[in-house]
Amino acid sequence: MLTIKNLHARIGEKEILKGIDLQVNAGEVHAIMGPNGSGKSSLAAVLAGRENYEVTEGEVWLDGKNLLDMKPEDRAREGVFLAFQYPIEIPGVSNINFLKTALSEIRDYRQLPPLTAKEFLKLTKEKQQLVEFDAKLANRSLNEGFSGGEKKRNEVFQLAMLEPKLAVMDETDSGLDIDALRIVSNGVNKLRSEKNAFVLITHYQRLLEYIVPDFVHVLYNGRIVRSGNKELALELEEKGYDWLKEELKVRESSIQ
Amino acid sequence: MTNEVATSLYNKLADEFEMRRKAPAHAAERSLEGLRQEAFDDFKTKGFPSIKEEDWRFTSLVPFLDADYNLNIVNGDENSLADAVKKAAIPELDAYRLVLVNGSIHIGLSRLPNQDMASIVSLKSISGSEFYREQLSTFNRTEGNTLTALNSAFFTDGFYLEVKKDVSLDKPLEIIHIYTAPENAFFQPRHLLVINRNAKAEVIENSIVLHDKKRVFVNSVSEFIIKENGQLSHYDIQSNTAGERWLQYNHITQQRGSRYDNFTFSLPGADLIRNNLEVRLNDTATETHLYGLYLVAGNQLTDNHTSIEHRHPSCKSNEMYKGVLMDNGKAVFNGKVFVKREAQQTNAFQQNNNLLLSDKAQVYAKPQLEIFADDVKCSHGCTVGQFNPDSLFYLQSRGIGEIAAKKMLVEAFMFDVTEKISNHAVKQYVQELIYLKMGNTAASAN
Repeated sequence: MLTIKNLHARIGEKEILKGIDLQVNAGEVHAIMGPNGSGKSSLAAVLAGRENYEVTEGEVWLDGKNLLDMKPEDRAREGVFLAFQYPIEIPGVSNINFLKTALSEIRDYRQLPPLTAKEFLKLTKEKQQLVEFDAKLANRSLNEGFSGGEKKRNEVFQLAMLEPKLAVMDETDSGLDIDALRIVSNGVNKLRSEKNAFVLITHYQRLLEYIVPDFVHVLYNGRIVRSGNKELALELEEKGYDWLKEELKVRESSIQ
Repeated sequence: MTNEVATSLYNKLADEFEMRRKAPAHAAERSLEGLRQEAFDDFKTKGFPSIKEEDWRFTSLVPFLDADYNLNIVNGDENSLADAVKKAAIPELDAYRLVLVNGSIHIGLSRLPNQDMASIVSLKSISGSEFYREQLSTFNRTEGNTLTALNSAFFTDGFYLEVKKDVSLDKPLEIIHIYTAPENAFFQPRHLLVINRNAKAEVIENSIVLHDKKRVFVNSVSEFIIKENGQLSHYDIQSNTAGERWLQYNHITQQRGSRYDNFTFSLPGADLIRNNLEVRLNDTATETHLYGLYLVAGNQLTDNHTSIEHRHPSCKSNEMYKGVLMDNGKAVFNGKVFVKREAQQTNAFQQNNNLLLSDKAQVYAKPQLEIFADDVKCSHGCTVGQFNPDSLFYLQSRGIGEIAAKKMLVEAFMFDVTEKISNHAVKQYVQELIYLKMGNTAASAN
């Protein structure tokens, strides 16, 4: 589904991603871990099409389509969803109007008929139940007045509404208490299917106890330095990242 | 005379004034003769306002005076008038209707409230009265600028509306101003609206000019008097077309316990919009709300000058103006709030926010608070900014196209004002106009 080849990206003069290779197939869940500043959130932002990153080299393909050529809205319409680490509050834009617009633009792009007001309402209710998101949405501005946990849950709710192929979740677990973490994870687990794929960006192994990944990758200094199965996450939890950093240093110096 | 370009118009006005003075006048006109002369002398000495004056620093009238305007257009083509009303009328608004053609009431197209509730007559029919003479004389002595003096010298008609004591008008009154300009034309209407004690009304003004790429200059003066415990909600929708230059002076006097709410929506289209909104609080315990939205596009210049004068204790005023600037648009906001020494326990708030959507757009914002009382709560805030790129990206990342996302953010920016519009039909209409006019601009930019 998603193929990333030798992806390099920078902000200004600073190179952040230094050659990422990743293959994600339908039905898979990939976890990307790594120390602070290793480029995890940058990878998510580049996939979603954030303007301030400049891709200098490499390719990103989604089901045969070149993502890097597309504007952020077209990536979303093609089925990329980024759950934000810090969801944005937009006073004056209503939650409902926002969802309605997003859904209708996506459906239009996919040549699906628009939903009637009734169908939309029904869908909203169903998905809210599915992801256990009971915040009142009517007459409220987008994310405004939501607690940190509610914002994260709203991201998962939007994910449920928009039904993307590929969901990239940028530290969705950060700032969540145990209950919220369980609810968010349940939501994601219910949304997992043979047709979609998830990339979970996280610092902690804890999330992966709830959402069990098929693959775990470690991102360090703009590159994926190690890939494995869920055992790798446990190993990291136990030993920390320093162990990996040491190993890398040894390897690099021996190459030289 | 302060500038060369306007000389021909200036001379034309002088000739016209002389001609009118010599013409045999009817009784009403004779009683105003002295006031007209004083007003014209005032204009003649000072000329059109120039950018050397503080209130006109950023708004030069020079480019807008350079046309050969006909000063005496009276009649419109009857057939086109009904269409104009249809075009200008706000859909789904259940309201009385007052239609004016070139400043004069058109009874046939109007739907006026019952005489017991409100009387609406032509200004012409009362301008000879002692009451009006006094009104005009006081205004000329204490208020206005050279343009209002010019209006005082020349106006021939307008409406006089009086809402009777203790009456709450059961429906809003929609006032549609139609102007017809088969050639370049200069209009100077004059209106007076009185809300009597304990009376309440909602007035919605809208305008349309029938012209084919002509230059049209409207220099209007309206006075509003709100007596004890009276209430007036006043909407003004300025959605016009190229070639039009609108200079509007609205003067409000509030008596004890009265309330005035003003909404001014200035949209793209006209070449120039200059609004003067002057509020005089003449007694205690009044409440005033001024809300403004200006969306400026093309090469348009939109200038809002507001002034609120607190002269007595315990009055409340609240002002919020929001502007969105596109293309080469230029906006001016000047908000004066005066709190005189006697005006203790004043609450006066002002806010002006501007969103610049183009590198070439300009805004000149000037909050101006002059406070001489010590027991008051006053604040003001002014911002100029751009779209928050994070917000834009968030919307786009959910599949919302760039143009739609920008429109949503503009709507959100204006929300503080639009949410205050209590009339649903007006709210709907204004939001649609904004959407439409933004779309036109976005499309033409590509």
